[in-house]
Amino acid sequence: MDAVTAEKTHVDAPLIQGNPTFHDVSEKISSLIEGKTPPLWFIAIGLSSSIVLLLLGSVGYLLWEGLGIWGLQNPNGWGWAIVNFVFWVGIGHAGTLISAILFLLRQKWRTSINRFAEAMTLFAVICAGLFPAIHVGRIWLIYWIFPYPTQYLSMWPNFRSPLLWDAFAVGTYFTVSCLFWYVGLIPDLATLRDRATTKIRKVLFGIFALGWRGGNKQWKHYELAYLLLAGLSTPLVLSVHSIVSTDFAVSIIPGWHTTIFPPYFVAGAIFSGFAMVMTLGIITRKIFGLEDYITIRHLENMNKIMLLTGMMVGYAYGCEFFIAWYSGNEFERFAFINRAFGPYWWAYWSMISCNVLVPQLFWFKKLRRSIPVMFVASIFINIGMWFERFVIVITSLSRDFLPSSWDYYRPTIFDVTTFIGTFGLFLTLFLLFVRFLPVIAMAEVKGVLPQADPHHHDTH
Amino acid sequence: MSSIDGKNGKQYWRSLDQLADSPEFRQFTEREFPEGASEMTDPVTRRTFLKLMGASAALAGLTGCRRPVEKIIPYVVQPEEVIPGIPNYYATAMPFGTGAYGLVVENHEGRPTKIEGNPKHPSSLGGSNAFMQAQILGLYDPDRSQRVLHKGVSKKWSDFTAAWRELYPKFVENQGKGLAILSESFASPTMARLKAEFEAMFPQAVWATYEPVTDETLFEGIEIATGQAYQPRYHFDKADVVLSVDADFTLMESENVVNARGFIAGRRLKTEHDPMNRLYMVESMYTATGAVADHRLRLQSSQIGAFVAALAQELQAQGVPVSLDAIPVDGTAHFDKKWLEALAKDLAHAPGKCLIVAGRRQSPAVHAMVFALNTALGNIGQTVDYYPFQDVERPRLSSFTDLLAKIGNQDVNTLVMLGGNPVYDAPADMDMTRALKSLQHSIHLSSHVNETSKLAEWHLPQTHFLEAWGDVRAVDGTLSVVQPMIAPLFGAKSAIEVLSLLITGKDGRGYDLVRATWLPRLGELDFEQHWRKVLHEGVLENSAATPVVPGLNSESIRAYLQDHPIVVKSGMEIVFYASPATFDGRFANNGWLQELPDSMTKLTWDNAALMSATTAKELGVENENWVELSYRGKRLKMPVWVMPGMADKSVAVALGYGREAAGRVGDRVGFNTYRLRTSQALHFDQGLSVTKLPGTYEMACTQDHHGMDTEKLAADQIQKRLPMLIREMTLSDYQHHPDQIKRIKEHDRQIAKSLWKEPSYDEGYQWGMVIDLNACVGCNACTIACQSENNIPVVGKTEVRRGREMHWIRIDRYFTGNPEKPDDAEMVYQPVACHHCENAPCEQVCPFAATMHDKEGLNVMVYNRCVGTRYCLDNCPYKVRRFNFFNYTKATPEIVKMGMNPDVTVRFRGVMEKCTYCTQRINYTRIKVKNEFRNGTRPDQHIHDGEVVSACQQACPTQAITFGNINDPQSQVTQMKAINRDYEMLAELNIKPRTSYLAKVRNPNPELEPVAVPPTTDDDHSGGSHH
Repeated sequence: MDAVTAEKTHVDAPLIQGNPTFHDVSEKISSLIEGKTPPLWFIAIGLSSSIVLLLLGSVGYLLWEGLGIWGLQNPNGWGWAIVNFVFWVGIGHAGTLISAILFLLRQKWRTSINRFAEAMTLFAVICAGLFPAIHVGRIWLIYWIFPYPTQYLSMWPNFRSPLLWDAFAVGTYFTVSCLFWYVGLIPDLATLRDRATTKIRKVLFGIFALGWRGGNKQWKHYELAYLLLAGLSTPLVLSVHSIVSTDFAVSIIPGWHTTIFPPYFVAGAIFSGFAMVMTLGIITRKIFGLEDYITIRHLENMNKIMLLTGMMVGYAYGCEFFIAWYSGNEFERFAFINRAFGPYWWAYWSMISCNVLVPQLFWFKKLRRSIPVMFVASIFINIGMWFERFVIVITSLSRDFLPSSWDYYRPTIFDVTTFIGTFGLFLTLFLLFVRFLPVIAMAEVKGVLPQADPHHHDTH
Repeated sequence: MSSIDGKNGKQYWRSLDQLADSPEFRQFTEREFPEGASEMTDPVTRRTFLKLMGASAALAGLTGCRRPVEKIIPYVVQPEEVIPGIPNYYATAMPFGTGAYGLVVENHEGRPTKIEGNPKHPSSLGGSNAFMQAQILGLYDPDRSQRVLHKGVSKKWSDFTAAWRELYPKFVENQGKGLAILSESFASPTMARLKAEFEAMFPQAVWATYEPVTDETLFEGIEIATGQAYQPRYHFDKADVVLSVDADFTLMESENVVNARGFIAGRRLKTEHDPMNRLYMVESMYTATGAVADHRLRLQSSQIGAFVAALAQELQAQGVPVSLDAIPVDGTAHFDKKWLEALAKDLAHAPGKCLIVAGRRQSPAVHAMVFALNTALGNIGQTVDYYPFQDVERPRLSSFTDLLAKIGNQDVNTLVMLGGNPVYDAPADMDMTRALKSLQHSIHLSSHVNETSKLAEWHLPQTHFLEAWGDVRAVDGTLSVVQPMIAPLFGAKSAIEVLSLLITGKDGRGYDLVRATWLPRLGELDFEQHWRKVLHEGVLENSAATPVVPGLNSESIRAYLQDHPIVVKSGMEIVFYASPATFDGRFANNGWLQELPDSMTKLTWDNAALMSATTAKELGVENENWVELSYRGKRLKMPVWVMPGMADKSVAVALGYGREAAGRVGDRVGFNTYRLRTSQALHFDQGLSVTKLPGTYEMACTQDHHGMDTEKLAADQIQKRLPMLIREMTLSDYQHHPDQIKRIKEHDRQIAKSLWKEPSYDEGYQWGMVIDLNACVGCNACTIACQSENNIPVVGKTEVRRGREMHWIRIDRYFTGNPEKPDDAEMVYQPVACHHCENAPCEQVCPFAATMHDKEGLNVMVYNRCVGTRYCLDNCPYKVRRFNFFNYTKATPEIVKMGMNPDVTVRFRGVMEKCTYCTQRINYTRIKVKNEFRNGTRPDQHIHDGEVVSACQQACPTQAITFGNINDPQSQVTQMKAINRDYEMLAELNIKPRTSYLAKVRNPNPELEPVAVPPTTDDDHSGGSHH
């Protein structure tokens, strides 16, 4: 099999460039773990773990003093914590989408990015889950959210509350995503176990590889399990953010009480998730020299998805406005006019610029394939999606029904440090991941190499 | 620490007295307060004032058992002894100026916890105001003085007695030459008796009376008009047309509680056929009374004299026999002549059924003219009664001026100040500090070690009226005994005890002194029986004086006006007004009052230079800008607050702020405007100049946060939205379309349909409330009553600024009209507390099921289940839920805890709270009714209508709030809900609120263009947010 054959059989560029052998793949990916730790990694984790300390300090002070240290106030019972929660949950969508839905759709290009996208999902959900936990007044009683049998409470929690649904939805999503990620890791863990030169690696990878030997039967069972988990995860991708959106949609607050929220939130989540995968992917690819594995084609495909989902959220923004006007409901109308032209206009127009205008660049093939352009664009989209949640949560609450209760929400320094702190947590976890686990699914990548399918049975 | 001395004859306390005398303990108490006070310099810590450690621990230990040893009589229940958990109610009275408010005080195990108006007292009629309600906190103020001080060194009472005994023989010998007393005004038989005794004992002594805010000009005006001074008592209920000139009679003038009651009684509408009075208001400030006026003319205070003169002319022209000649007016006042004519016509058509009242700010000349006009209109004896002064010490600024002159001439060497705080509140041109320093002896009796105490040789702690015996007269002469609810907390003495000591050189007990006064009055025969009855009722029956009809002496008015011509000057004027929070500064250390949003500005914890929007624009200033006020060579830096609707070129500043020695709460709150106030112009004056300074000052306003409402988008939206939230119409509109509001309500019910079967709530008690917007005068009594009843914490300025005030019931106030012309805006009030929606949005979203509905329709808050997601707050369309962002009650001083309601839980941080419809009162009554039924003293076990009264309802001076069982067709609340003005706010959300409102009705004169009344037309039934 040479490059000429590949050119003939694949209309698109090959998924993996440089035409590596199976061994090359194992060598390349495993070297990231087995090689000497790059000094840059130490600097990076030093930085990110200091930010984790900032998070711990902020949360510690919060627990000591109470929620008053945040900018919350009377009409704005929810503030940055909920904005950040929705933001992180949204980011946590790309991983499972790539793993599960693209897997079911037989999108083979996913193999280069699914591993770290899934990892990113888990870390994002960890960051997200932190917020609802610490944003309650009496955190030491947070476990009451679970319907466990107890005489103390003498009754069940309120199953009508979307916050309860949230706890289940996010909890389920995290569990299934974790399993999915781990199951996907098993063959690679076995590879690492087999290559291990130190005792500790041998033992740890040995334990977590669950005795994987790569036998035919094992592969058969493994692939079935993976398929089932993919099937299980697929509805979750849609359900988690739909349920998160009901936190707002079920309420009666103008600007929240909207039936478009579930699809709109899911689209937004995928949009932001891909943007984050893009940001991290470009960095990882550059630092670890994975250009052959995460190719321009992968990136371009992701850009196409961002273009699509970006337009979906753009449509949702427009639709909300139209329906607010069409409803004839004065409160609803004002909620939206106030978003665009009220005191938070800057947040609204930041959101529109980042989420609707920036992705339009991807109509142009040249821009869509330009690494600097897509890197900057992905960062803008991340910012824009944070502002989207800010606009929804803050503007709607700050001016609701009675003008007497209107107020202007301002975050405090502790809101900011807590949010920045979660980035520290996210990056720290990610850095640990890239150092100790295979960033790219070796087994899967091998599966899409041309030599894995010498008879071209499975051309797409 | 002689506070707990052996006078009560209980060994237990004596032993603690020994503890109190130990050096460690002394050091502890002495160190405690300056330290606490210094914490208040940092504004951030002010919010935590309740957290600061307060009274000494030893005192706290004593707090359980401080019933006065003298016999006091329970008002309603007469137990053999105190039954734990069952409150007793005792009648007493609160002295205030030259009058008094009758009170009924709830006592729990000997601790007063809640104040209500005494229905039998003519000046409260069961209602109350914010000052009365807040006295509970005032009693337990941990910064109250706890010891006698001599030149700043702690002494005992016996030291002072000894010191006085040294001076006493000299004064007895020289008949009091060189001795002077400076008192506050009072209306007390015992004080009057002792004063007479004092004057008999020391005929050469000087007695001066000073208070910074009084009715002196009013009394003087009546004296000019009639030759004698009287106290007026208005019958607003009998007046069809009312003109108020600069008088905020429902909130800040004397007798405001009954004024408000009467005024609202004259405009209470059950149906569209009921008559309704009409209020014309002429004022420089925008006051709470101005807000309920049907017509309002904003005019500088200094032009109001000319306005009254012009009104006299106009009335004469319209045939009213005003016996005043053309009143000479120097200068021209600018106001709408058409307005004046229409007003005069209205007044002329209601002889004997109209009323003109002038505010205490106006000059004696204006008051004299107003008396003449009321006489001409036949109102004397009809809508206003005059009562002679009995046992009243009239405030006289001149006596104070004379006193200072005598001190300056060394004619007085010993000054005894019975209360008051002249160093702080004397006019700026009267140097009280220098006077005190030049005296040989100065003795200051005061509840706090205030600015004056710090300069006096002796400071004596004064009792709070809730802990000392005394007596008072109401304006109409009705007598009451002030009976203590608790033994003095800090070993203080009352003014009568000190005065008695001065006279006799011996300690006297207040109880004996008061009884000695009452003995001749009640008669020796059956004295005890009568005495007990007075204590029980709170008033001596039939002790009211007969009102007199004073004759008018127009000649005297003319002569006075010759000497004091009415001068109208153009230019910027400064207006001083008593703060609705601190009054003249006396309540500065009361956290409830400091945190009470002002009725008009909604500011807390501050005063500001108030000015109209037009004036602010001319000066180029906005809210929170610094300005320098300079007037008569005196300067004061203050922040600006724009008050739409004030007279242009008029700057109003509240007195009573900027205290230096008020205590941990009141120190350095706001700005001391007494520095601008001179004895030549106590109330208002021209000649102010305002200069904008760079920078801004942060203020804590509960409604117009950071001036957001001035933004056009919001302002327009508010005007669009208001007609849906606050239904308002004119009387004629109401008469023509009586069912317009009802139709909207029915329409809302029709469109708001649930997808599921709603609980029916048609059994048992179903609690509901109606608030008559037409009766609300925005006085805030309900807010403080609720705070007292429900142990609501004070959070401080920083937290209020963040939007975290905790009040369970708030008074929303909106400006209605064209946002382009803010100064023409009308104002509406709307009290808002939890609406107890049957289909409550808060309940559905709480994951912990911490807020639930009970069978009686209450939206109950289960604090123990609350984990604090604040989702309920988000989803509450009325935003009445309050969250404990911090542990606001963490270190409430022990002494303040004594005043808390033991029937209501104190909430911890992280927990949501809100109005409960006073569920503790419902349950208390339920248990009481059951017990009575079981004891056979009651035929059934139903709670009858009116047996459960919510705290806000009880406090309301105008009875704007009705609460009861809406499942009982006979109950008052059901009948109120059946009125065709009844509507539910935001009913279109299908939340089914249990609290509904009665639409506001204004009664404008058809001859005058009503100012910006929102259109209420027939097709308004589709108004609301739905189409």
